[in-house]
Amino acid sequence: MTSSARQGNTGALVLLGVLLLLALVVSAAVGAFAFTPATMARYLAEGSGWLAPREGDALGRSVFLQLRLPRVLLSALTGAILGVSGTVMQGLFRNPIVEPGLAGTSAGAALGASLVFVLGGGTSALSAPLGSLAVPLMAFAGAFGATMLVYRVSATFGKVNVFTLLLAGIAVNAVCSAGTGFLSYIARDPQARNITFWNLGTFTTADWRGVSVVAVSFIVCFVLTLRDAKALNALMLGEDEAALLGMDPQRLIIRLLVLNTIMVATATAMVGVIAFVGLVVPHVLRMVRSSDYAFLLRGSALLGALLMVVVDVVARVIIPPAELPVGIITAVVGAPVFLYILLRQQRRGSAGYYG
Amino acid sequence: MDDRLTVKEAGVVLRSVSYVAGDTQILDDVSVHFRPGRFNVVLGPNGAGKSTLLRVATGLVPPTRGDVAYDGEPLAGFGSQRLARTRAVLSQHVDLAFPLPVADVVMMGRYPHYGRVPTAHDREIVDAALALVGMTERAGQPYSTLSGGEQQKVQLARVLAQIWTDDSDAAGAGSRFLFLDEPTSSLDVHYQLHLLDVARGLLEGRCTVVAILHDLNVAFRYGDHFVLLDGGCVAWNGERAGEIPLEVLERVFRVKARRIGGTDDEGPLLQFTL
Repeated sequence: MTSSARQGNTGALVLLGVLLLLALVVSAAVGAFAFTPATMARYLAEGSGWLAPREGDALGRSVFLQLRLPRVLLSALTGAILGVSGTVMQGLFRNPIVEPGLAGTSAGAALGASLVFVLGGGTSALSAPLGSLAVPLMAFAGAFGATMLVYRVSATFGKVNVFTLLLAGIAVNAVCSAGTGFLSYIARDPQARNITFWNLGTFTTADWRGVSVVAVSFIVCFVLTLRDAKALNALMLGEDEAALLGMDPQRLIIRLLVLNTIMVATATAMVGVIAFVGLVVPHVLRMVRSSDYAFLLRGSALLGALLMVVVDVVARVIIPPAELPVGIITAVVGAPVFLYILLRQQRRGSAGYYG
Repeated sequence: MDDRLTVKEAGVVLRSVSYVAGDTQILDDVSVHFRPGRFNVVLGPNGAGKSTLLRVATGLVPPTRGDVAYDGEPLAGFGSQRLARTRAVLSQHVDLAFPLPVADVVMMGRYPHYGRVPTAHDREIVDAALALVGMTERAGQPYSTLSGGEQQKVQLARVLAQIWTDDSDAAGAGSRFLFLDEPTSSLDVHYQLHLLDVARGLLEGRCTVVAILHDLNVAFRYGDHFVLLDGGCVAWNGERAGEIPLEVLERVFRVKARRIGGTDDEGPLLQFTL
């Protein structure tokens, strides 16, 4: 790569980082309770023990620290996870239309998690041995099973057939949604409401415990995934060519699918299924800058977070005092992009989707 | 075959290699020796096992029986990284799943050599490889916008960068092995000859070059060692194209062959009819 192109990539990452910081501040400020930057800074200082809590402001502080802040962070983390996941899965499937919503990862995670929610009620045979990890573990199991099934069906001899992929994705998603739907049907009322919300994604349930689980799984999986940036690039040439460059494609694919599934399953278990973020984010980055995975992975974390934070703000302010499920907004934005990419790919045949 | 083959010899040695996929025997007790400094050519009709021979010889798949050695060292003992720094393979045609500039594609050839960030030396090699194939001006252009012939030149630059040797690392440099898998099958005659000329140029560096070629006349002109495969077995193996009996060619390729020219030096020029 030329050094000017690399500097350009770094510049783009810095720009995305700045925009993300701005979006985080705006997102933390707006909503049913509005905060000024100064107030937010004071709450942060008070919350972390730097300042003594001011009298008579307990409500505002607790809304900010216990509701707003975790929500903002959870939306950013979820966006980062979905963005990176879309990037990784597109690299593994060697196709720009793949994302966790399409490949069954999200739906499988939702099914696994709702199994625990509905049948697991605390001490059942299903969840008791797993304890408090039951939800994320079952989400992972569901997500991994669904993704592997779609991958195995659509990849023959190391090449992914787009139409098989789409059809396998539709079938696996349908089965998982049917399962989740059935569970919500047999569930007692409050659980059912949870599940319905899940299918559209929501950040209303954000708390610090959830944020820390998602943060840990994102950071660990992201750092490990970054180490395979070169291998993902080599995979663009095909599995044989990657092997000839000293990679082990089979192991690489399994390793990245596992990391990817852990991230997506954890996020999905917390916020539900949010489609199309993983599709749009890498697409935009490829269009405006580069397909080099060293850039794409970092950029998709930042842009995914940015996009999700903005979508969450919109969800909160568009029909006050009610809230729109974020999944509705991402679908409205993402579906046309998806159709556009699909049309382009159709027109160009199997090669050079962006060329 | 050649009974004097031992695993001690320089170049690529396949000893009694068989390869079975499912219950189909694709290679049956093949022993060949590709020597360094020569243009070794593998010939044979479709389905003769040429591609499988190459996959085994490059370490992409292990043989069912028999063994492969580079310079007397069994391939099984090479680590994947060392193997990737030692041998490179140019395939028929490589599509890129996503758009990348030409220079980035060539840099992939250096992946086995550097960790996270390419060194200045890696960049020099990429530039030199691009220059060698005459694609310097296209370095910044997206790979997918190139013609098929230009794309193949870029892939050639990539595999050359992978096994590049120059004065700066001559001390530690071992042998290099280049395999070409029907590299010219979709190229026009200009690109064909250009690619084969570049590959021939590597022989001066004592590189071992092994190519699968379909055009027999081109093969006779460029090759200096020929292995003719038929049904997974070696049907003929030798150094002078002129000595390949026409009857063998006619039987193996199921055609009629007639010599219409050529010299002993250049090899025969044949015309084929059904």
